[in-house]
Amino acid sequence: MKIFGSLRKCSGVSAERRHLKSNGLLSLGRIRRLVHLAAGMALWSLSAFAFANVPLGTVVENVSLPSLAAGRQNLLSDTNVSVFIFLKPGLEHSNQATVQIAECQKEFAGKPVHWCAIVSDRIPTTEVEAEVRAAGLSMPVLIDQGDALYGKFGVVLHPVVGITDENRRLVAYQPFAKVNYAAVIRAQIHHALKDITDEELAEALNPPAAILGGKASVAHRYLRLAEKQFQSTNYVQALSNIQKSLDQNPTAAALSLRGRFLAAQGNRLDAAAAFEAALKLDPQDPAALEGIKTCNSARP
Amino acid sequence: MKHGPQTNSAKNCPGFSNFRLVEFSNRDILIAILAMIRPVTTENSASQPATSRVADRKTTFNRLCWCGAAGLILLAGVVFYYPAAAADADKSEGPPVPKMRQSDLTPIPEAEKPVSAHSPYLDGDCSLCHQNKDPKNPGAIIKPVNELCLDCHDDFAKVMARKSTHVAARVNCVSCHNPHNARQPKLLVMESEALCLSCHTAISNLVATATVKHDALSMDGKCVNCHNPHAANVEHLLTRLPYDLCVGCHGKDGVKDHDGKVLTNMKTLLAENSEHHGPVSDKDCSACHTPHGGNNFRLLIKAYPAEFYSAYDPKLYALCFDCHEESIIKDPKTTTLTKFRNGDENLHYVHVNKDERGRTCRACHEVHAARQKHQIRDAVPYGHSGYMLKINFTQTATGGSCARTCHVTRSYTNSVTALVSQKTAAEPPKTN
Repeated sequence: MKIFGSLRKCSGVSAERRHLKSNGLLSLGRIRRLVHLAAGMALWSLSAFAFANVPLGTVVENVSLPSLAAGRQNLLSDTNVSVFIFLKPGLEHSNQATVQIAECQKEFAGKPVHWCAIVSDRIPTTEVEAEVRAAGLSMPVLIDQGDALYGKFGVVLHPVVGITDENRRLVAYQPFAKVNYAAVIRAQIHHALKDITDEELAEALNPPAAILGGKASVAHRYLRLAEKQFQSTNYVQALSNIQKSLDQNPTAAALSLRGRFLAAQGNRLDAAAAFEAALKLDPQDPAALEGIKTCNSARP
Repeated sequence: MKHGPQTNSAKNCPGFSNFRLVEFSNRDILIAILAMIRPVTTENSASQPATSRVADRKTTFNRLCWCGAAGLILLAGVVFYYPAAAADADKSEGPPVPKMRQSDLTPIPEAEKPVSAHSPYLDGDCSLCHQNKDPKNPGAIIKPVNELCLDCHDDFAKVMARKSTHVAARVNCVSCHNPHNARQPKLLVMESEALCLSCHTAISNLVATATVKHDALSMDGKCVNCHNPHAANVEHLLTRLPYDLCVGCHGKDGVKDHDGKVLTNMKTLLAENSEHHGPVSDKDCSACHTPHGGNNFRLLIKAYPAEFYSAYDPKLYALCFDCHEESIIKDPKTTTLTKFRNGDENLHYVHVNKDERGRTCRACHEVHAARQKHQIRDAVPYGHSGYMLKINFTQTATGGSCARTCHVTRSYTNSVTALVSQKTAAEPPKTN
């Protein structure tokens, strides 16, 4: 595919391979670099589309367009990360995107990011101004005369965000999404600014699942309750809740608390057994280490 | 074991002092302003020399001016800022939740068997949360309610650090949970769906009025099939991105819709067809489908032609035009809007924009995924027997062609220069 072809060129994988061939060595650092590069390439593939005529990795020409306010403005910055948004005021998605991007822009205040929006000259200026004002968008709005820039990029969707790095290389293309749109845009900008790693970007694009509860969670709560009951000398209930915790998820923490409870009752033999069981699960558990020391020192 | 009726009202229970973070009464504000503008008097003013008294008066006058100004600023702040701040406090992600639920948190009667019970309550350990050990007189709770809960449920601090959090969970655990026992699992104060919909009234109305239903709302965990009621890493408290949630059901064979129609196994479809529609690639099923129910077929958020042929009416394509440029169908000529053009003749316009038998999007494009770029279909259905007629679309560097199916074999080129040279070559040489 054309997109991946150009990405390979820009990713530097070929250069890395040549370097490896000439040295014939695979050091840990190089393997790590290769893994990072591969992760980066996998990230590119997460967004299956790009502008029809401008694939990811392409160096974008910095054009100057008439601005809605007055005069002309550049599409991109030649030295900073640039974010440009093709908007179509009046469309529901475009309206929603404008509001979210305005919020996003505020969060990046003070960061070296160049922002601009592009609208077709087909849309009445008053309509554009009204939407920009309503959303609180404070960036130059460029007027694309005769849809020349639309055609040049091959923009087929509204709204669409493009992000270029400090070398004007297109690093992200993001059409509107109903869910997590601002989060993705934010992460893409941070990634272009090198604030976050490839892995952090991947996590933002594909967030980890948020599953409810689970046995470990229930066990932990029983243990916390048992600790409180232990502190208030409610030993019977404490022991019962430790057992409930262990039934759900046997942990060193639960076993060492049982040891502490048994030791407090003077049952050093069983306490030592509990501490030993805890140390089998976690040899560094501090409460168990301390407990076993006390039990051993108290032995006749 | 019983104690008197309790509610989670901030007025009734001192433990709920964190219910509103900032709350000044008008009296507090008045006292503050009066304290600022009160003139300074000295005990021995009479014994002071006249010059000193004049200086004192000047100082007092200056102070009065400054304090008056400060008071006015404070008043202006209270008048303009406070209502806005109060409104902000109620702002949350998702539908507005104007007030926290006022649930009855009394333990259920002893004669009744609870479905779930809180361990400290079962253990009779009232003083873990309340001032007194006596179940008949437990007194107020010893800490603000969420702090109290997080003492044992401390793993929730990690959960609540997720990007999207539920205002009810942030503010007041007992909005949804009875800390003693309950007739519902998980100590819920009422049945889970009813509990959610009692605040999320817009969803409740949508569910009630939707003509096309989504069974996910009424099966298994209902709302929690897709949402985490505490916090999540995806907006709207979704436990995963929409596609990852949807394929939980729509990634299986034989799944039927509410009306019994067998639905496509999306996992298989996407695995077999590498060219995915943008929202599918972005795992954003909700770009086109409304998960809580709606009035368009296939739970589509807006109108989309259900038929293969249709007279062109922009209203029919509301779904597509939310993202795709409408002028791609409206403009007969273009050199920028699409590559599906012969020179500057817009072939989308030619196919779709007809008074009769216009081809709808689905005539040429698959909506989810296809083998060819732009989700162009391999074949179109012909007749009622399920026979599929091959389109035989071939893409070239400057255009493409469709072999004889809907019409005789036709090719197009989107390069105006190439088209002109083609025409010149086809024309017979002129003889004088």
